[in-house]
Parts: sequence; structure tokens; C-alpha cells
Amino acid sequence: MPNLIQTEVPERLWQQAQNMVEQGWVSNMQELVNESLRRYLESHQDALAEHFILEDVRWGLTGND
Amino acid sequence: MTDAIGEKLVVADAGPLIHLDELSVLDVLSEYAQVCVPDAVWQEVMNRRPNALGNSAVPWKKVTVTKQFPRISALAELYSLHSGEQEALTLCLVAHIDTLLSDDTAARLAANNLRLTTHGTLGLLLRAVRTGTRTPEQVLTLLQAIPQRSTLHIRPSLLAEVIAQARTAWGFDGGSL
Repeated sequence: MPNLIQTEVPERLWQQAQNMVEQGWVSNMQELVNESLRRYLESHQDALAEHFILEDVRWGLTGND
Repeated sequence: MTDAIGEKLVVADAGPLIHLDELSVLDVLSEYAQVCVPDAVWQEVMNRRPNALGNSAVPWKKVTVTKQFPRISALAELYSLHSGEQEALTLCLVAHIDTLLSDDTAARLAANNLRLTTHGTLGLLLRAVRTGTRTPEQVLTLLQAIPQRSTLHIRPSLLAEVIAQARTAWGFDGGSL
């Protein structure tokens, strides 16, 4: 079931988002928010995986257990 | 649990066991006092690598996990953890083992939440030099072979960075490997 969210967005960011919708890059604001959220989560998942790997490499090279 | 090499107990998720077996180096786990494997993980590894858990160099301990923790159930839902990962985390709590071997980002995130230490295939390979199980040359060769010989997913540029770090740490800069 879709979730309803309410949030405050800075004016400049909101205008940029509206421009994207008006220019037809996405069909509406809901699609833009969903796509933004999905991309953010994906990118941070990747960053997180990299963080864990590099932390593990440090342990592998210099740990004591 | 103690941190000294040779006295430490760990709990294993399927990833590192499968990936180390694919590289034919499961024996790098032989320096642990015990490698505890919950039933669900045992089954997953048996399905993927039927001979892996027969490696006699590793001090395996198969464990049936019956207890459930609401906190782990909540983390499992939050991070979409599989049954093996859930059992492995539960076993860490039940047996008071503070180290989980896992290559899964979500499982590692959940483990962090439980204040557990996690290590993966790459860390275990590099550790093998510290424990004297493998030479630096052997581990560099294994790292380079990961894309061809293993199902471990790692971005090529990140693997290259890991290899570069290892070469520097082991004094191979300017050498042939």
C-alpha cells in the first residue's frame, strides 16, 4: 500500500523539481519524488557496501585478530 | 570472546564460505577456534557448494537455532534479511559471539546495529597473510582471480583499489605482481 509523506522542501529545490515536471522529464511530482528516493537509496546502498569492504580490508591488513 | 588469533569463535553466513570455497581457500578459516554455522546457512552452502563443509581443515560447528529475538525480527524486516542471515545474527546473540562473517551489506548493517563486528571474504583473504596461512603473493593472485573464479560481487575499480592497498601494505609497489 502506498505511503503518504509530508515534508518541507527549500524553495529553490522545489522550483527545480517543478521545472522538471513542467518540462516533462517526469509525469508528475509524485513520480519525481519516488524516483529521487529510489536513486538515493540505491546509491547509498552502494556506498555502504564500499564502506564495509574498505573497513574489512583495513582489518585484513592491519587487524590483530 | 577472546580476540587472540587461534582462540576466537565466529559465526558464518553463507557468502564467505561459498566465496572462499570457490577460490579453494576455505582453510584460511582454520586459525579460528570454531566456525559456527547455523542450520539455514549450512543448508544454503550445501546447496551451492556441496563439498565445502567437508573441509576438515576448518573447525566447523553446526548449530540449530531455535530462539527468536524481537529485535532481530525487526531488523530482518527492515533490511529484508534471509533466514540464514537471521539465524546467524541470532546465534551471535545466543552464543555471545561478537564476530559475524558475511559479505551481505544488509546483514552487515543489521550486525552493526547489534554492535557485532563483521568481516567478509576480502578481509579474510588479507588476514591469511597475517596468520601465515598464505603468502602475500598468493593472496594477490587470489584477489586478481576473484572476477573469474568467484561469485563475489565487487565493482572492478573497487577491487583494483583493494589490490593496490594490499600491494602497498606488503611492499610490492614497483614489483611485478
